[in-house]
Amino acid sequence: MQTAATSPAAASAPPPRASRWILVGGVVLVSLLALAPLLSLLGGALFGEGPGGLALGVDGVEQMRGTLLLVAGEGFIGAILGTAIGWLTAVCRFPGRRWLRIAQLVPMAFPAYLLAASLIDWASYRGLRIHGLGWAVLLLTLANYSYVFLLSTESFSVSGRRLLEASRSLGVGPWPSFFRVALPIALPSIGAGVALSAMEVVNELGAVRLLGVPSLSAGILDRWQVDGNPQGAALLSLAALAIVALLITGERLLRQRSRRWNLEGRDAAEHVWQLRGWRALLAQLVTALPPLCALAIPVLWVQQGWQALAAESIGELAQLASRSLGLALLATGLTGMGALLLAICRRWSPQPFVQQLSFLAGLGYAIPGSVLALGLIVLGGPLGFSPVLLLLWGYGDRFMAVSKQGLDAGLERIPPSIDETAASLGCNWQGVLRRIHLPLLRGPLLVGSLLVFVDVVKELPITLALRPFDFDTLAVRVFQYASDERVGAAMAPALLIMALGLVAALALVPTLERRD
Amino acid sequence: MRPLFFRDLSIPIGMGALAATTLASAIGVASLAQAGPKDVNVYSGRHYNTDKQLYAEFTRRTGIRVNLLEGKDDELIQRLRSEGSKSKADLLVLVDAARVYRAQELGLFQTIRSAELNKDVPANLRDPAGRWFALTRRARPVMVNPALVNPKLIRTYADLSRSELKGKLCLRNRASVYNQSLTADELVRRGKPATQQWIKGMVANVKEPLFTSDTPMLRAVGLGQCGAAIANQYYLARMLRGDNRADRAAAAKVKVVWPNPTHINITAGGVTNSARNPEGARKLLEFLASPSSGEGYASANDEYPLKGWGNNPTLKAFGTFKASSVSMEQLGRRNREAVELMAQAGWK
Repeated sequence: MQTAATSPAAASAPPPRASRWILVGGVVLVSLLALAPLLSLLGGALFGEGPGGLALGVDGVEQMRGTLLLVAGEGFIGAILGTAIGWLTAVCRFPGRRWLRIAQLVPMAFPAYLLAASLIDWASYRGLRIHGLGWAVLLLTLANYSYVFLLSTESFSVSGRRLLEASRSLGVGPWPSFFRVALPIALPSIGAGVALSAMEVVNELGAVRLLGVPSLSAGILDRWQVDGNPQGAALLSLAALAIVALLITGERLLRQRSRRWNLEGRDAAEHVWQLRGWRALLAQLVTALPPLCALAIPVLWVQQGWQALAAESIGELAQLASRSLGLALLATGLTGMGALLLAICRRWSPQPFVQQLSFLAGLGYAIPGSVLALGLIVLGGPLGFSPVLLLLWGYGDRFMAVSKQGLDAGLERIPPSIDETAASLGCNWQGVLRRIHLPLLRGPLLVGSLLVFVDVVKELPITLALRPFDFDTLAVRVFQYASDERVGAAMAPALLIMALGLVAALALVPTLERRD
Repeated sequence: MRPLFFRDLSIPIGMGALAATTLASAIGVASLAQAGPKDVNVYSGRHYNTDKQLYAEFTRRTGIRVNLLEGKDDELIQRLRSEGSKSKADLLVLVDAARVYRAQELGLFQTIRSAELNKDVPANLRDPAGRWFALTRRARPVMVNPALVNPKLIRTYADLSRSELKGKLCLRNRASVYNQSLTADELVRRGKPATQQWIKGMVANVKEPLFTSDTPMLRAVGLGQCGAAIANQYYLARMLRGDNRADRAAAAKVKVVWPNPTHINITAGGVTNSARNPEGARKLLEFLASPSSGEGYASANDEYPLKGWGNNPTLKAFGTFKASSVSMEQLGRRNREAVELMAQAGWK
């Protein structure tokens, strides 16, 4: 975790007091909003009525083990895959690189539960069993490695180009350059990506259930809803929370160890490694395989049962899609603003409690959506909040970390000397934000926003639990069909979710291209 | 420094405007559909488009509008519980006796008196205290691929533990509430030692890994990978009636074997404790349970009506069966015990 000493500009050029308190107030407000549902839940779980039972039990141990194995497997493969592809597409050149780079955005659009459901459905026609931990790790990696790719490729293209140049001119080859120069510089971004994807895994419910892998997320829900044992559920939630806290702390440590402020022009882009022959082929293979696999699953599935599409009512689909779209856009805006506030304040305010609060505000990502939703119902019910408001609150709480992670990493690449210079020239924090940070944070802000957008479109448990009467979204409809085992009937809304995700993902193309 | 800020702002503002308009239109539609003290708000664990036609028919007859919130049963129970007395739900419709009983134990239903419901719903398919009433019946027979397993071998569920089935039996996992209720049924009829023996025998026969849903399991039976499986009849009916040729071909190879007696389960509804319109909810319940509309409600999901076999031709082709006389209330009451027994005996 960051300490006062490492907070950049504050020591030398503190912004005016009054405006800084506005920042701190904002952080306190956002953090309280984020933490309130968790606290209400914890209170309800520990002091509420209902049969108790804090024992972990055989099931609990199995579920813990399942989640840990999933996180370890996905984290390991995802880190290697995402970093390799990020590196290859950022600083190497081979035929088709531009398209393959864009193609990495495709898997982002496909939620793991859809990949799992459609693959199981397709395979069962052929007498193939898709089941168990191995498949779960594979599918979750496929659905989530893009986080690592996006953040690492951004770092590879922007940072350390000159250092790479220097090491190259000193005769260091591509591999040593990668391991000794580029990797250490990119480590914070890779860490952020791995942490994000691992948190997605901790939270994954649909896919692991379908694949029959015991997991904490399913355990929490079952204890809560089926066994009527909120205390037991809270215990498992704490276990999930501990895993996520560990992930975030690890990522912070990584980041602190390899802190290098880096801000370079984009002029160094012409110095790249040309890959030829089998090297180019291998690069193509590595970069093409994951998106191809991710794309193949839904395509095969649709080809299997496209007849189901004929029965769909276009008007209803349009309505479902407009709700998904509207909710996602609103949530993205709110989350982006909240995350920016937290990130900026962390930079300006040396107080440890601000640092800790902004850390805690990201914890909503760790709570399984359905549990978070219950917290919001417990909290918002008596206050008479409108369900849509609760829904947005839930999204914001859940996905704050997605936005914030990228922003934090982005801000750390901006040397504090720039803030100091600006401050010494009479610029207050608003000025620095407007004229320096925001323009420099365009990339991370956009990436974060799009990730949140896609996440909200795919989001299921919170929407399912909090939506008002007659207010279904695409994901809800998919879930309803799929839970009735009418996976074929879920095809049209499922395809729309993927399409919306693809459009959002493709909006990232200009950001990727600009780096070239 | 480039004047990027305003360009930056235009994106979020544009996005915000777009979001606001789409959402406003969406909410507008939703809020129009809400309000009205005479409406009946339904939380339903069923998700069939034909249900909506039935609700529309109810509105046409009575003038009472039906607002629907469909979800997963356990989630709806929890939502209703958390909302407490503030809940807007008037009627709770759930699938499977175990869940209905759970909702009852949580005090989510209120007692209603209705001569009509008592007449239309057989006594073993409703709560003795009048808190919930079955609306449809489903059965969980044995599905056999005759090329692999002689259907005559299976006369009761107990026969599934016969050694002839070794490596040929496919099962869904313990988490499936349908299997839990089936086990509770055996528990009530045959007692604990026999049920335990039965599970152990089946576990010894089972072809791993266990399935997480019925439909892929039925495909495996049709494709000859499983000789026998336990599945709800409507999954097979759906495959047979569906528009997917591969599914129809696989399902055609599956023979329904009715154990004597066959385990049945229900979709049921009850008026919630927090109902603002209990009268309207009761009327809707009566409407759905009545023989005329009950047939439609059941056949939407290839289920059986409360009495008799209905007119669904796919189901008629499956033949008839002798239903277990164990009451739904007992299935719910013994659920926890059944789950524990399954875990002990090795049902994963």
